[in-house]
Amino acid sequence: MVKEIERAGFPVVQMCNLIPVATTVGANRIVPTISIPYPLGNPGDSKETQWKLRYHRVGVALDSLATEIKEQTVFKVKI
Amino acid sequence: MKLEIGNFHVKDIVFGDETSYRQGILTINKKEALDFVLEDEHITEAELLIVKPGDRVRLVPVKEAIECRVKVNGSTLFPGVTGDVMPAGDGRTHALKDCSLLVVGKHWGGFQDGLIDMSGEGAKYTYYSQLKNIVLVGDTDEEFEKNEQQKKNHALRWAGHKLAEYIGSCVKDLDPEDIETFELDPVTKRSEDLKKLPSMVFVMQPQSQMEEMGYNDLVYGWDMNHMVPTFMHPNEVLDGAVISGSFMPVSSKWSTYEFQNNPTIKELYAAHGKTINFLGVIMSNLNVALEQKNRAALFVAQMAKSLGADGAIVAEEGYGNPDADFIACIVALEDAGVKTVGITNECTGRDGESQPLVALDVKADAIVSCGNVSELIELLPMETVIGELESLGRDGLSGGWANDEILGPSVKPDGSIIMENNAMFCGDQVCGWSPKTMKEF
Amino acid sequence: MKKAILYINQFFGQIGGEEKADFEPEIREGLVGPAMELNKQLNGAEVTHTIICGDNFMGSNEKEAVGRIMKFLEGKDFDIFFAGPAFQAGRYGNACGVICKAVKEKFDVPVISSMHIENPGVEMFRKDVYIFKGGNNAGRMRQDIGAMAAFGNKLLNGEELLWADAEGYYGRGKRHQVWLESKEPASKRVVDMLVKKLNGEPFVTELPIPKKDTVAVAPAIKDLGKANIAVVTTGGIVPLANPDRIQSASATRWGRYDYSKMDRLDAGDFKTIHAGFDPAAANADPNVIVPLDALRAYEKEGKIGKLHEYFYSTVGTGTTQGEAARMAREIVEYLRDAKVDGVIMTST
Repeated sequence: MVKEIERAGFPVVQMCNLIPVATTVGANRIVPTISIPYPLGNPGDSKETQWKLRYHRVGVALDSLATEIKEQTVFKVKI
Repeated sequence: MKLEIGNFHVKDIVFGDETSYRQGILTINKKEALDFVLEDEHITEAELLIVKPGDRVRLVPVKEAIECRVKVNGSTLFPGVTGDVMPAGDGRTHALKDCSLLVVGKHWGGFQDGLIDMSGEGAKYTYYSQLKNIVLVGDTDEEFEKNEQQKKNHALRWAGHKLAEYIGSCVKDLDPEDIETFELDPVTKRSEDLKKLPSMVFVMQPQSQMEEMGYNDLVYGWDMNHMVPTFMHPNEVLDGAVISGSFMPVSSKWSTYEFQNNPTIKELYAAHGKTINFLGVIMSNLNVALEQKNRAALFVAQMAKSLGADGAIVAEEGYGNPDADFIACIVALEDAGVKTVGITNECTGRDGESQPLVALDVKADAIVSCGNVSELIELLPMETVIGELESLGRDGLSGGWANDEILGPSVKPDGSIIMENNAMFCGDQVCGWSPKTMKEF
Repeated sequence: MKKAILYINQFFGQIGGEEKADFEPEIREGLVGPAMELNKQLNGAEVTHTIICGDNFMGSNEKEAVGRIMKFLEGKDFDIFFAGPAFQAGRYGNACGVICKAVKEKFDVPVISSMHIENPGVEMFRKDVYIFKGGNNAGRMRQDIGAMAAFGNKLLNGEELLWADAEGYYGRGKRHQVWLESKEPASKRVVDMLVKKLNGEPFVTELPIPKKDTVAVAPAIKDLGKANIAVVTTGGIVPLANPDRIQSASATRWGRYDYSKMDRLDAGDFKTIHAGFDPAAANADPNVIVPLDALRAYEKEGKIGKLHEYFYSTVGTGTTQGEAARMAREIVEYLRDAKVDGVIMTST
C-alpha cells in the first residue's frame, strides 16, 4: 500500500516493527516501531513513558516526510 | 538418551464395556472416558464419537490432534501439562498408531481452529482424513472467550491431552507389535565414522507470538514466548516435551500429534550415520518483536556454530510476521558458515501474485515449500457435521468469513462451503508430511 | 469446432520487410503465413482469420492500432487468440504483448504468444499473457507454433494445466500449490536438499527469491508547518461496530473514519479487528497504532499545518498485495481530493 501511495506522488513514511519486511517490500521512508501488537506504546510502561515514546517517534516520522532522501532509508529514533 | 516407541496398530475403534486393546481393536468405555473428561468442571458438555477414513463427515472447529500414548514407567506423558515436570525422551513409550484423538468444539471456533473432511474432495487437504479418529466434542464455561476470535481453548485442549494419556494407558503393559528406537550419542562422544559425515542441527520455530499466556506452544509446560533458543534432544520432541498451542492460523499449525510424530526428525534419524551426523535440535520460537527475533537468530547461529554444525534445517510454524524469524535465522546461520535449508509454507494470495514470504533474502537459497495458505477451496455439503458448520464463517476462523461481496459467505445455506486453505486443520502439513509444493503458473 | 484468430506482423504476413513496418492493420479471412502451420497443429479448433499489422504502426500508434483491431474483432466468434511467434524481434514482441493483453481484457479469451527470452516483450507482458519460450530466429517457427498450439489444445479441451515450467511458458508470477506426482513428502525433500547442499551438489530450491520491486522516492515536503498530513493504517483500527465490516484477515475492504473532533482515540470508541496479533494493547489504547494524540499535539504546536480529518484503515494479515494495492489506489483518490501533502502509514 505504501508503494501505491508513493507511486501517486505522496511522500509516505512506513512506521513498522519488521524492518526487514519493509525493506523487502520496498518502502522508502521507514521509522521503526517497538512491536507488532503495540507499535507506539508498551502497555507495560507508564502512560508518561508511552506518551514520550509515541511523541518522539511520530515526530521522527513527520520529519522524515520533510527530508530529501536518495534511497530506502530507515530513520533513527532516540527513544 | 534412548527412546523406544512401542507401536500398536489400531485396525478399528469401537465403544464397549472395557477400555482395552486386543488384536488391533481399540475398545473404549464411553461413559468412563467421558466421566474422566467431566472431572474438569469447566467442561460443561462432552461427547465421544468415532470417525474413520471414508466417512461422510466434516469436523469443525477442530482445535487439536493428539496421539494416544502412555509412558510404560508411569512418567507423565506430557510433562508440565498432564502431570509433573520430568524428563521426556528416554525409556519406553507405547503408542496407539493409525489413529488420533481430535478435539472439536461443540459450537465455538476461532482463528486457530480448523476443518477436516474425512472423505470426498476435501479429504486431501488434511492428514487426519487418513486416520481413524476418536473425537472429543465439548463445550465449556469459558465465557470470557466465547465470542473472541483468539481463544486459549484451555479446557478442551487439556481434556484432549489427558484423555490421550487415559486411553493410551490401556496398552501400558502389553507387548507392542513393533518398536521404533531413537538413539543419539552425546554430541562429543560420537564414533569416528559419524564424525566423518557432515553434521547438522534441526532448528524448530514453534509458535509463541501471543504475549498473554495460555495461547502459545509449551515446552515442558513452559510458555515458549518466555524463552530464548536452547538445545534439545530430538527424542524430547518425539516424546511429549512440546505440545501445540492455540494461536496459529491453522493450516500452518504443528499439532501435538505432529510433534509426537515429527516426520522431519524421523527422516533425520533415518539419514543419521548414512549421509549426516544429526547433532540435535535447536529449539527456538517465534516472538513478535523485531528485537526478539534478532536475539533468537543470534542464539541459534551461535549454538549451531559452537556445536560445529556444518548444516541446518530451519522449520517455522507460521506465516506472516514469523517469516521474518525464519529468514533471520537462515541468514544468521549462513553468515556463521552453516549451510541451511528451510521448510515452510507460503502466502501468495488467492491470485497467487503476492510475495511468498513477507521477508526475503538472497541467502535463503534453499527452501522446501509445503503449500499456499491462501488457496481458495470450494467443497460440497457433507452428510454429517461434527461440531458446528456455522463456526467456519461466524467465529473468525483463519480461512472462513461471514460474507464477501464476490464470494458470499463461507457457509452456504445448503451446507456447501468456500474457504481458504488457511482454515484446513494443519492443512499445509508443514511438519514435513506435505505432499504439496508450490509452483509458478 | 472451436475458433482461433492469429495476429502477425508485416513480415510474416508477407507484406514486406522493414520498409513496410508502417503497414496499417488488416484482418483477412483464412490463413496467412504462420496461420497455416498453426491451423495444422490445432486439434478441434480452426484458425478463421489472420490479423496483420506493421510493427512500427503498432509501436507508434498503439491506441489507434489497438482500437482498429478491437473493431475488427467485434462480432467475430472466437474462443482463443494467438500472436507471433515473435522470436527475438523487440517491436514484434511488444506488439504481440499489447494486442494479446487488450484482447484478453475486452474479450476474455485465452491469449497465447511465443518469444525468445531476450525479447523485451517477455518481461513486459509475461504477467498478462501466456508467452511460450521461443527460439531466437525464424528457423524455429514450426517448434514455436507447435508449443503455442499444444497449449491452446489443452486449454480448449479443458485438460489439466501444469505449471509454467512444465508447460513451457514464462512464469506469470502466480504461485499456487500443487500435489507432487511422486507424493514425496516435504520431510524427505528437505533432508535431501540439505545433503546436496552440504556436499556441494546442485539442488533446486522450491521457493526462488523474487527480485525486489522498488518505487521512486517521492520528493520531501518543503514546508512541514503548512502541510496537511494523513494517517493510513493496516493495523485494523476501526470504530467499535466495524461499520464497514472490514475482514480480520485477507481484507478486501477499508474504511475512513472522522477523528477531527478528537484529541485522542478512546478505547470506548475504537478497537482493532486485526486477527494476526494479540489485540489487548490496541483495544485498551488505540493510539498505539493510530497515534492521534501525538499528531494532534504536533498540529497544535504548529509542527504540521493540519491533520487531515480522516484516517484510513484496513487489515494487513493474509491480505493479498493485489487487493492492498487496489485499496491504496482508492484511498489515494481521497487523499488527492483532500489535498494531503504527506502520509504516515502504521503497520503491525
